[in-house]
Amino acid sequence: MAIVERPSTVPAIAGGAAPTFVGPADAYGAYRRPVTTTGWRSWLFTVDHKKLGLMYGVSAMIFFLIGGIEALLIRTQLAAPDNTVLSADLYNQMFTMHATTMVFLFVMPMAAGWANYFVPLQIGARDVAFPRLNAFGFWCFLFGGLFLNTSWFLGGAADGGWFMYQPNASSLFSPSNGVDYWSLGLQITGIASLTGAINLIVTVLNMRAPGMSLMKMPIFTWMILVVQFLLVFAIPVITVALFLLMFQRNFGAQFFNVDAGADPLLWQHLFWIFGHPEVYILILPSFGIVSEVLPVFSRKPLFGYKFVVFSGAAIGFVGWGVWAHHMFTSGLGPVSVAVFSVSTMLIAIPTGVKIVNWTLTMWGGKIHFTTAMLFSIGLIVEFTIGGLSGVTHSVSPSDTQQTDTYYIVAHFHYVLFGGAVFGIFAGFYYWWPKMFGKMLNETLGKWNFWLMVVGMNLTFGPMHILGLQGQPRRMVVWPDKLTGEGFFDLAFWNLAATVGSYLLAIGIFLFLVNVWRTTRKGATAPLDPWDARSLEWLTTNPPKAHNFDVVPHVHALDEYFHMKYEEVDTDTGPRLVKVRTAEELQAEQEANADTHIHMPSPSYWPIVLAIALPIMAYGIIYSTLLTVAGGVILLLAMFAWALEPSVADDSDYDPPPSGEAGKELASV
Amino acid sequence: MSEATLTEFDTPAVAPHGADDHDAGDHGGHPVSSTGLSNNKLAMWLFLGSECLLFGGLISTYMLYRGRHTGSPGPAQLWDIPLTSVSSFILLMSSLTMVLAVSAAQQRDDRLTNLWLAVTALLGATFVGAQVYEFTTFYYEGVGFTTSLFSSSFYTLTGFHGVHVTVGIVMLMALVGIISRSKVPGDKAEVVELIGLYWHFVDIIWIVIFTLVYLIPA
Amino acid sequence: MSGVDQPVSTVRFVKQRSAIGVAMIAAAALLGGCASNAPQDTWKPAGENAQDIQNLQWPVFLVAGIVGAIVFGVIIFVVIRFRDHGQEMPKQTHGKPALEIALTILPALILIGVGIPTVSTVFSLAKTDDTQCVVNVTGQQWWWEYQYPVQTCGGVDIAEPLVTSGELVLPTQANVLLRITSNDVIHSFWIPKLNGKRDAVPGRIHPLRMQADQPGIFAGQCTEFCGLSHARMRMDAVALNSADFASWVANQLEPAEKPTDALAAKGEDTYRAQCSRCHQVNGLTEENADGTNSAKPVIAFPDLYVVAGNAPNLTNLMTRTTFAGATWDLLTDECRATLRDASPEEFGALYLQGVTPDCFNEAELREWIRNAPAKKPMYASEEEKTENGGKYRGMPNLNLTDDQIDEIIAYLLERK
Repeated sequence: MAIVERPSTVPAIAGGAAPTFVGPADAYGAYRRPVTTTGWRSWLFTVDHKKLGLMYGVSAMIFFLIGGIEALLIRTQLAAPDNTVLSADLYNQMFTMHATTMVFLFVMPMAAGWANYFVPLQIGARDVAFPRLNAFGFWCFLFGGLFLNTSWFLGGAADGGWFMYQPNASSLFSPSNGVDYWSLGLQITGIASLTGAINLIVTVLNMRAPGMSLMKMPIFTWMILVVQFLLVFAIPVITVALFLLMFQRNFGAQFFNVDAGADPLLWQHLFWIFGHPEVYILILPSFGIVSEVLPVFSRKPLFGYKFVVFSGAAIGFVGWGVWAHHMFTSGLGPVSVAVFSVSTMLIAIPTGVKIVNWTLTMWGGKIHFTTAMLFSIGLIVEFTIGGLSGVTHSVSPSDTQQTDTYYIVAHFHYVLFGGAVFGIFAGFYYWWPKMFGKMLNETLGKWNFWLMVVGMNLTFGPMHILGLQGQPRRMVVWPDKLTGEGFFDLAFWNLAATVGSYLLAIGIFLFLVNVWRTTRKGATAPLDPWDARSLEWLTTNPPKAHNFDVVPHVHALDEYFHMKYEEVDTDTGPRLVKVRTAEELQAEQEANADTHIHMPSPSYWPIVLAIALPIMAYGIIYSTLLTVAGGVILLLAMFAWALEPSVADDSDYDPPPSGEAGKELASV
Repeated sequence: MSEATLTEFDTPAVAPHGADDHDAGDHGGHPVSSTGLSNNKLAMWLFLGSECLLFGGLISTYMLYRGRHTGSPGPAQLWDIPLTSVSSFILLMSSLTMVLAVSAAQQRDDRLTNLWLAVTALLGATFVGAQVYEFTTFYYEGVGFTTSLFSSSFYTLTGFHGVHVTVGIVMLMALVGIISRSKVPGDKAEVVELIGLYWHFVDIIWIVIFTLVYLIPA
Repeated sequence: MSGVDQPVSTVRFVKQRSAIGVAMIAAAALLGGCASNAPQDTWKPAGENAQDIQNLQWPVFLVAGIVGAIVFGVIIFVVIRFRDHGQEMPKQTHGKPALEIALTILPALILIGVGIPTVSTVFSLAKTDDTQCVVNVTGQQWWWEYQYPVQTCGGVDIAEPLVTSGELVLPTQANVLLRITSNDVIHSFWIPKLNGKRDAVPGRIHPLRMQADQPGIFAGQCTEFCGLSHARMRMDAVALNSADFASWVANQLEPAEKPTDALAAKGEDTYRAQCSRCHQVNGLTEENADGTNSAKPVIAFPDLYVVAGNAPNLTNLMTRTTFAGATWDLLTDECRATLRDASPEEFGALYLQGVTPDCFNEAELREWIRNAPAKKPMYASEEEKTENGGKYRGMPNLNLTDDQIDEIIAYLLERK
């Protein structure tokens, strides 16, 4: 049924004096709006949070593959001593871009994609608070990422490491334009993160379904909320650092010029004040995903929901006070080192709380080993390993031995691959039916999972050994003379890690195969395939454009579960009984559907505004003229945006085909 | 069930859910929300919170580097405290006129709103003018952007602030333009208030900068 | 409804695989600390400071291992015990606050146990009031220089400032304080068997304690990413007992001897023409017009030619066993192995022999002199020189002829 209508000419104002607003008669966007609902235009100009979520996901996965290929090249180079697959220059670019891509262009936007798609659904909203801003954020991310990667073809990518320490990344020591691309590209993606964060916070704080107090909010939404607050305060700090770097390299400023008296530690502080919260920005969304998946497949609520929420918030807070543990060898002096050692240990406590709660969620449950569940259990195990190795380098004297060795590489890949990436894959298998109405193949999924588990442990496990045996990171070659013999032969473990990385790649390839097969001939998903617990499952698969026919009233945590199940007294005591099926709930939704639902209309301006940014950025590298041209586009787009009402004017629509009056927006 | 729509920056303010979800009552056109703040205002507060960290980073950079200007003039040689005090006072006064503009907007007095907005913009422009004059003087005294660590961080910090004021002026002027043509999308008073929030923030940041940069000796 | 139930066999598969995986990881992690002979093994302290770190870290690894084992044990138990085997829908419990609080306090207690010794070790490793010798360590792309100021170093008088590179020579049993800085970008000084690392930051001087119990040679590597040849910026620490250290100092302070054989004498001229702009040889003097030596010393001006403003002093090149950022050996493989495997008693005498003609590994040095940037990537081409503001970064290709190279090698072989 088409219940999304062309906007009525009289907007509904709930009581009170109606404020001045722009009605159809005097709306004046600069152009007719792009109201088509099919074809490429419906994607380019969309403001729908679900479409944007999907686009975030697809783009992030493409960057994931690019970053993965970079990783494979790195591992290939390191498979044998004194190898020559990559030149030193190319190798440096490779590991810089591998990290940059995985952090900024894969995990962050992937989380933004999940958040975009599922936060409104989980809180019973019909879209985010600022749909056009949402679209703008996505295009900024995509264009920023593409801009960053064009550097490969325009004189070489950044070669200073993702941490881009000064003065090694100044124009004297890194003369190619790579670092310029890096600093400008990340500023553009930073805009995406900042606008996205503000948008999601407002959405979560202001647009929850009636009755959904903060402590009844699904845990994924909670973790996303914490992450967005981290972003709001972390992004400006890296922005300052990136501006200083840009002014230094492109406009002759002195910030990192040691001869003029600069302190190279300024960059390190700015970078890591951003960089450590960033770590939690990367991991908390995945914590949120598995905190959804584990209860569903254990058939039990999340154990200690409040503790998980508070520990997430605590991680967010304490995460601001630990940045200097990335600088234990930077010469901070013993007092700072001791303080940051202790604060770093503190953060292990809320992290431990999460591990305990996940385990206790499964305890006493009725566990179904779906692929999503396997990835979630995998996350608990792998993240625990990463967390424990993390504790070993919170012991700062010990860290002075470990830092910048492969031991650290092992640690953060257990945390980020075993943590963030496993969470993301759990999300794929769990939410695929919701997003596409088809089930990912579980058999292929299990192969996918086990290959990834074996692959990742074979890749990153040996790196613990390599690091403790003294193999430093970021070295294009490791010499034969330093390999040692016997069990700890570095040559053997380096080769093992390389083999592992190929296994891992095969595992990820199987995921792509699974997606391809599912798209072609996947089984149609039932309405509620997992017997799920949160509100996103109250919608159709995939959800309608307006998400909910009627916005639910929320009474409890796990509202959807409580809609389906009730406790019934029996002879043997109270038992949970399914009183309503998903189909019945869906029918109920449709029966009571709101009659007039206004969705925000598509717009040209987010993408136009976003494209202006890389144009200006190219200009900063190559020609002021280009910057001016970009600036003009930017200003025009802003102007057009500001004057455009968020709901399309009637005159923007083509005359409706007969019999279809007012249904243009209905199809998704 | 009644109508429901989404709110966005410039849409008529309507409850984000079906209006029957809340006892909407008279909210003076503000959307019903869980926080009691409209989406727009909450977003502005968040943005300003983020800006605090941006200026925090720039101020820290300046504080670290303000004494590092070997062979070129530093703060002690450059500052013209009376001039900067006057321009700071002018900027502070613009906060007062901004308050008057918001109050006029809430009373739906378009003419008075426009007047105060224009005065605010004018005061802001005077401040920026003084800043440009100050920069020019410094430049002729041999302190350019690339001269020393002190100068790079000084121009970056105050330049960022100046750009913020300039963006504010552009917003004020644009607002005057569209109010006088009665074309404000959404709630007019709220738009004025939002720009007011931004404007006050920029002023407060200047108080911090003025104190730390000009008044406290290096 | 569910359609997600798994056959029991899959469940078994799951539990077995994860158990094996976990056991393997745990075993690997534990063995990570055991015996090996990789030269940079971080668990093989050879001095007091590294030993302090070791004493602190092994219990932490042990506790981490135990905690990990417990967590994995519980997880394995849970996935086996609570798999879906047809039991009823579990009770919808939301947690037990008392248990939660207990399980929050427990790790906090463990961490207090870890935190206290950590803090005390941090401060003991930062002590500087027991210093018996000071060495100024300067990193630059892509090699380390060591300057010994005039002092009594571990009981040995150093009467004049002494400069060497690549190999940091220390008296055993003495608390040596390194004062570490950099000439260009950030590097990090790391001799795993003697202490943790410390960054070399331009414009800052960072202290680092070093102490070696016994004579020997300890490998190290620059560990802060420092550009193109980061992987080829290595160093060694050489510990000598007091007597051997005294002879080493005495030898280092002697000016260069005049070449003895004819080829080396020609080499001196070639060296003066080709190398002496950057590489100082103490005692090398300018040539008079008639071919005799004047008394005027040849002073190198590396600051005019290279970005780092510095190039290794070659006065005593052949007392060292490596060159070019300690990346390549001056010793043949056999002699290298003999030296590095020598017992602490034999080591000093062997090291003080330096590079003897029998042990000289000519091939690497020859390749280096022929075309240094081809062997070790550096920004040292003519185009890159322009980008660098007219200076090389690292050693350029000097386009020497074979004869010139022969002569230079002959000359260098006598620099002891």
